[in-house]
Amino acid sequence: MLQKSFHSDSVAGFKQAWSESIKDGFNPNAAILFCSVELDLHDIVTYLKNQDISIFGCSSCGEFLYNDQSQVISEGGLVCLMMLLVPGSFKIRLFDGKEKSSFELGNLIGEWAGDVFKDPAILILGSGLDTDGEQLIRGIQHFTGNDISMFGGLAGDDARFKETFVFSGGNIKSNGAIAMVLDDDLYDIHGIATSGWVSIGADKIITHSEGNVVYTIDGQPALDVYKSYLNVKDCDLPEIGVEYPLLIKKPGAMDVLRAVINVDIEKKSLIFAGTVPTGAVVTFSSSPGFEIIEYTRQKVNEFYDRNEDADILILFSCMARHNALGPTISEEIDEAWQNWRKPLIGFFTYGEIGNNYNAACDFHNETFTLVSLKQHTDVA
Amino acid sequence: MLLKINSLIEELLKIEKPEEFQRQKDFIIQELKRVKTEYDKLLFKYERSSKEKNILSSLLIRTSADLKQVSDKLKIRAEELSTLLETIPAYVYFKDINLNYLIVNHAFVDLVGIPSDQITGKKIHDIFPGYKNEDFLNKEAYAVKTGTAFYDIEEEVEFNDRKRWVNSNIAPIRNAEDQIIGLIGISWDITDRKLNEVELRHSKEMAEAGTLAKNEFIASISHEFRTPMNGILGLSEILKNSPLNPEQMDLLQGIIASAENLLVLLNDVLDFSAIEAGKMEMDYQPFMLERVMEDITLVMKMKAAEKNLGFTVVTDEEVPNLLIGDAQRLRQILINLTNNGVKFTEQGNVAVQISLVEQLANRVILRFEVTDTGIGIAPESIDSLFKVFSRIKGDKTKLISGTGLGLSICKKLCDLMGGQIGVESEPGKGSKFWFTLPFTLSNLERKLAPKIKMAITSGDVKKLILVAEDNAINQRIVSYHLQKMGFEVDLAGDGQEALEKYHQKQYDLIILDIQMPVMDGYKVARTIREEEKINLRKSAIIALTANAMKGDRELYLNAGMDGYVSKPFTFETLQEAINNVLR
Repeated sequence: MLQKSFHSDSVAGFKQAWSESIKDGFNPNAAILFCSVELDLHDIVTYLKNQDISIFGCSSCGEFLYNDQSQVISEGGLVCLMMLLVPGSFKIRLFDGKEKSSFELGNLIGEWAGDVFKDPAILILGSGLDTDGEQLIRGIQHFTGNDISMFGGLAGDDARFKETFVFSGGNIKSNGAIAMVLDDDLYDIHGIATSGWVSIGADKIITHSEGNVVYTIDGQPALDVYKSYLNVKDCDLPEIGVEYPLLIKKPGAMDVLRAVINVDIEKKSLIFAGTVPTGAVVTFSSSPGFEIIEYTRQKVNEFYDRNEDADILILFSCMARHNALGPTISEEIDEAWQNWRKPLIGFFTYGEIGNNYNAACDFHNETFTLVSLKQHTDVA
Repeated sequence: MLLKINSLIEELLKIEKPEEFQRQKDFIIQELKRVKTEYDKLLFKYERSSKEKNILSSLLIRTSADLKQVSDKLKIRAEELSTLLETIPAYVYFKDINLNYLIVNHAFVDLVGIPSDQITGKKIHDIFPGYKNEDFLNKEAYAVKTGTAFYDIEEEVEFNDRKRWVNSNIAPIRNAEDQIIGLIGISWDITDRKLNEVELRHSKEMAEAGTLAKNEFIASISHEFRTPMNGILGLSEILKNSPLNPEQMDLLQGIIASAENLLVLLNDVLDFSAIEAGKMEMDYQPFMLERVMEDITLVMKMKAAEKNLGFTVVTDEEVPNLLIGDAQRLRQILINLTNNGVKFTEQGNVAVQISLVEQLANRVILRFEVTDTGIGIAPESIDSLFKVFSRIKGDKTKLISGTGLGLSICKKLCDLMGGQIGVESEPGKGSKFWFTLPFTLSNLERKLAPKIKMAITSGDVKKLILVAEDNAINQRIVSYHLQKMGFEVDLAGDGQEALEKYHQKQYDLIILDIQMPVMDGYKVARTIREEEKINLRKSAIIALTANAMKGDRELYLNAGMDGYVSKPFTFETLQEAINNVLR
């Protein structure tokens, strides 16, 4: 696959790098863009409107790009990967999420993906504060079935928790999703989602919730429980809540983590990135320390052993990992880069979407969700 | 890290020429950047640690409190379970994966008489040396191997020379990782229950034997009743046809009415005992509804006329005539209901209406309504009307005589034939009893011969009938009726004599009593049929019997007889039976 990638700290730098990339006759038809809300996104989108390239982009909570020229983990910048894909082998579409439930939004995407390709694989970015990631996935799977390959993440806003964006070339939405559907027969798409977070303390019961809003835990207002257990103030949430998610126990299945992405101080409720059903048995959870890096490395190496061949890598890493690991997070990203030595683009998310090894797609928090993409045939 | 910086500084100090400094600059800057990154990571870890410390401490304190609470709850739960284990009136044991006893409860210890610490670690054969139930041992092994539970395993176990019956349930125990780590067994002592079962079975057998004896008694007594009843009714009928003054005729009518009532009672008791014993079987044969209704009309019109009541039968046009069903039982229900109608009506009339409720391909449901203008039934009595020994009450004080079995029998018969029965009534105005019955449509019209109402003669020659009957009174009655019908009659006092007479003359019909001295009716019939194969003669044979129980019909037919008449009989029933075999 022909591709070029670059990092920039400014809109002007972006425009310059973009035009330089295509100066030599490189004629990409798709680009992935992860961009901080520090930069003028509307300016960028307006600029892209005039380019004849399909854009798959969202705002981030920190972004990173590893290629032969540089390995950058940045905050306040943007990363871009331009690709020449087999024409007709992919489509990108921006969906409006206003006045729709996440499930309904997922329905639209699933129906569209099924119309475009008989065997679609989906890359998806959802707005980070209005989307119930789990319902979005269920909505898509409602049309495509559970066997589909699907990876992605929820957009961030540099931990401001105010407004996140998804965008195409020419359009931007703060409540919606952008989907890139690929013909699964022409690509190999694989991935892993690994967390390392561990359960802390006794079981608790979700006594009242609606979708991703939790009102009471063990009969007490959810916000009070959180503040009291973590000994934090209102102003520390939701950022601290992302790092100390609830672990939902699923008997007979993999436990899932659900991070707090917002709080309602008036209703004393917590808003999670995914569904937390009433009656669910949960515990608090935390990263066990810097040893999770070693755990991730091991999982990455196992993934590489199963799947050495890739054109590019896309990484959706939870912003909580960045908070917890700080500059040492480079060590787990390095591991992926060192194994494949192929361009790796990604951002720190408010939630990750992905199939784990041999399992159906699920919604995650606190994970390192790595996707490898290989195009079977190159454009001549 | 400081060592690394020191060594870099030392490297710098060693440089003497400016051009060499320039050469080393890039390398040193790169090294310093690397050191800076490492420093940043260390610094982050340090800061992170102190920042996290507060949150984690808080989480730790709160979750420790939670865990303490959980632990306290678990302790209480464990105590509750322990109490349950020790007080449950069952033998409870836990075994490990190798089927060694781990824990047993008090009841178990009491049972085996070995302290619990000496049971732990032992296998079943150490505790029950003579235990031989391989099936149970296999089930235990299978339970820990596959996770299957087994319930209600009953066995007799012996220990210390005591035998006990136990009912056991065994179930695997799993750990948090869902691995099987052993099993729990709960065995209930069911020795008392087993003993009770034996007693119950014994009682049941006794009760069944009693019922059997009762039924045999009823069958036997009914036979005993029927013979003298035949005498009373038959002789009364002969007497009725002799010259009597009005007073004598009145007294005779009283005798006949009482005898007929007694006969109804006898039949009711017989039917009821058959129904109760579950021995009432329906006899489904092709029949003509028209003919059944003619019989009913013949009998009831006369009875109604005696009370100056009208009696009518109306059959709707769409009601089919050729049916398959138990005509005898249909007749019985209709006679019972119309009899009641006449009995409880002082003026007006009794009417029977037959209509079609439903017609399917080859089945119909017919509705029969018997309406009277009698005393009616009090509303509070209606619900219990079809129950055993319930009797129709016109009002609270007036009770009409009867057995209390008739309606109950009608209901049972309707139930047995798949129909329904009910009543609508208004005290003082009358009642409407109705019942519905399903019938199969018959296309066998040709097999149902028209009713012959006249005595049969062959030209001017009278047909010859041999009557074998040991009872002299019955001999007189039968010969009286037969002569009135226009037959010539020979008499025999027992089976042997009958056979001898058969050898001397050719009879058109032989009427055989079943229970006779020297040779019974069956044997006579079988012998005649055997001889007919050689002498090429052919006589019709009718059984005359007091054995009125269901199933007898097959016995007569198997013995080669052509029909039977049940005692006590009337002129009409005897005539009908003869007509059927001599046509």
